[in-house]
Amino acid sequence: MNDLITIGLPSKGRLKEKSLSFFSDSGLRVIQSEKERNYFGTIENKPNIKIIFLHAKEIIHRLGDGTLDIGVSGLDLLKESDKNLQDKISIQKKLNFGNANLVIAVPDDWIDVQTIADLEEVSFDIRSKRNTRLRVATKYPNLTNDFLISKGVTQYKLISSLGATETYPFIGSSEIITDITSTGKTLADNNLRALKDGLILSTRACLLIAKKKTAKLQPFIKIL
Amino acid sequence: MKSKKLSEAIIKTFKNNGFVLSEPNVLLDSEYIIERSGEKFRASMLTFNREDGKTMCLRPDLTVASCISFLQKKTSSKIYYSGQAYRRSSGKGTNFINDQLGIEILGSKNIVKDDFKVISTILNSAKKIKMKKIKIKVGDISLFKSLINALEMPERWKLRLIRHFWKPGYFNELLKRLENNTDIDAVTFDADKKRFYEMKKFNQDKVIAGRSISEILKRFNKKIKDPRSFADGKKIVKIIKAFLKINCKLLKLDKELLNFAKKNNLKVNIFKNFKSIQNLKKLNQDIIFVTNFGRDVEYYTGIVFEVFSGTKEIASGGRYDDLLKSLGAKKSIPAVGAAINLKNI
Repeated sequence: MNDLITIGLPSKGRLKEKSLSFFSDSGLRVIQSEKERNYFGTIENKPNIKIIFLHAKEIIHRLGDGTLDIGVSGLDLLKESDKNLQDKISIQKKLNFGNANLVIAVPDDWIDVQTIADLEEVSFDIRSKRNTRLRVATKYPNLTNDFLISKGVTQYKLISSLGATETYPFIGSSEIITDITSTGKTLADNNLRALKDGLILSTRACLLIAKKKTAKLQPFIKIL
Repeated sequence: MKSKKLSEAIIKTFKNNGFVLSEPNVLLDSEYIIERSGEKFRASMLTFNREDGKTMCLRPDLTVASCISFLQKKTSSKIYYSGQAYRRSSGKGTNFINDQLGIEILGSKNIVKDDFKVISTILNSAKKIKMKKIKIKVGDISLFKSLINALEMPERWKLRLIRHFWKPGYFNELLKRLENNTDIDAVTFDADKKRFYEMKKFNQDKVIAGRSISEILKRFNKKIKDPRSFADGKKIVKIIKAFLKINCKLLKLDKELLNFAKKNNLKVNIFKNFKSIQNLKKLNQDIIFVTNFGRDVEYYTGIVFEVFSGTKEIASGGRYDDLLKSLGAKKSIPAVGAAINLKNI
């Protein structure tokens, strides 16, 4: 069927719930399968629309390879992805949920480090004293790299992390981290603090579309 | 002459001047290069994962690869190399493969003599392949360092300007801030003073994320005592900019630097270490001295030069006294080298 539209929505947590309410606010009620763990859904009275529940990162990839036509995912995940993937996706709308900041955080007790300029100095200190590099643990290597280099910090090394990045400085896996924070509570509870000028990106949920499908999607997008 | 013949003629000159062939590994450990050269290098490396998960890269540069090989004690100290280096660049349609042909003196004890040896060997090989209208452009990164150290400004600013000299874009941003007397971190520390006194009572050897408490407190203390802003920023930026405009014939360099110092009320002896540059007068060549030059390569520390045939740059090089140490040498090993730009020959 040529008019079939496939939409990818986050499969878990608040992002999932908020995405569902965003669609229902536009008069599109998402019906999930009766089987609790099934990953497919439909929209009431719209037989040509198929919903797939996916990991938010996966949604970006599937928009890029054409599996999905429309998706809801985070701006952070889009901006972190490879350039050739980003080129295939356009942001239709920034949504009013999923707000968070990607920040650089240092241990609370590094009281001499308040700004990126301090970090730059400390990284040179570490380099000249120990001939090692300041290690930055992150789930966002691309965004972190671009940001640090643009701020003149060069003496560092990225350590990729999959989760619980906040522990890294205290178990000897890195010295500092970059991570997503919305209230700052997780950072504070783990004795970390964001640098004053360490905001890498303000992110939120976005309605994304596969560029190639733009024409076909026009009538549908108008309702959203 | 065909390009193969040209290379052979150049190599013959290298050999006659006492340089020995170095054949560094084609495959290098990626992590090692990143650890030593920084993350920004990652994007330009051609890498692949070995079966055991280790990431390897094709040698991105023959100077770096030769240094690594030297540190593994595989070569003597006065070497030449001839081979391919592999790098990605953002420009469209650019070639991954760069043919590199060059010489290095690793562990260079006599600066004046070795700088001269490298430049004269390059010149001889250029003449051997009958390059015409040869001109040399030289600069010296250490002169900038001497200038900055002679100026009156907070230590942190000095280090910052020296650290970022090789990145002209960011350097200019720093100059703007200096000009407006806005430090990049004009933040008050009152809130943290309380914590400072608490932490003073802790075991000073305790380590927090890789830094000892004594190290943190020492830097904190230094920071509060160092002036946040100072009035002479504008004057200093004017001096730096004037310095970066110096561009003259080598024969007139002494006079030019003296004038510069006098005009800006600096001591006349601040530029004492440029014997190596002056020694180049012996080459009897058309040599231009430029201060704003050699700023795109992070590892240069002293003399930098480019050799031209007409308007084409046919070779370039410089002194890099810190690179071998940053590649893992236990002590500082000064070095100087140059490469022929085969594309322009």
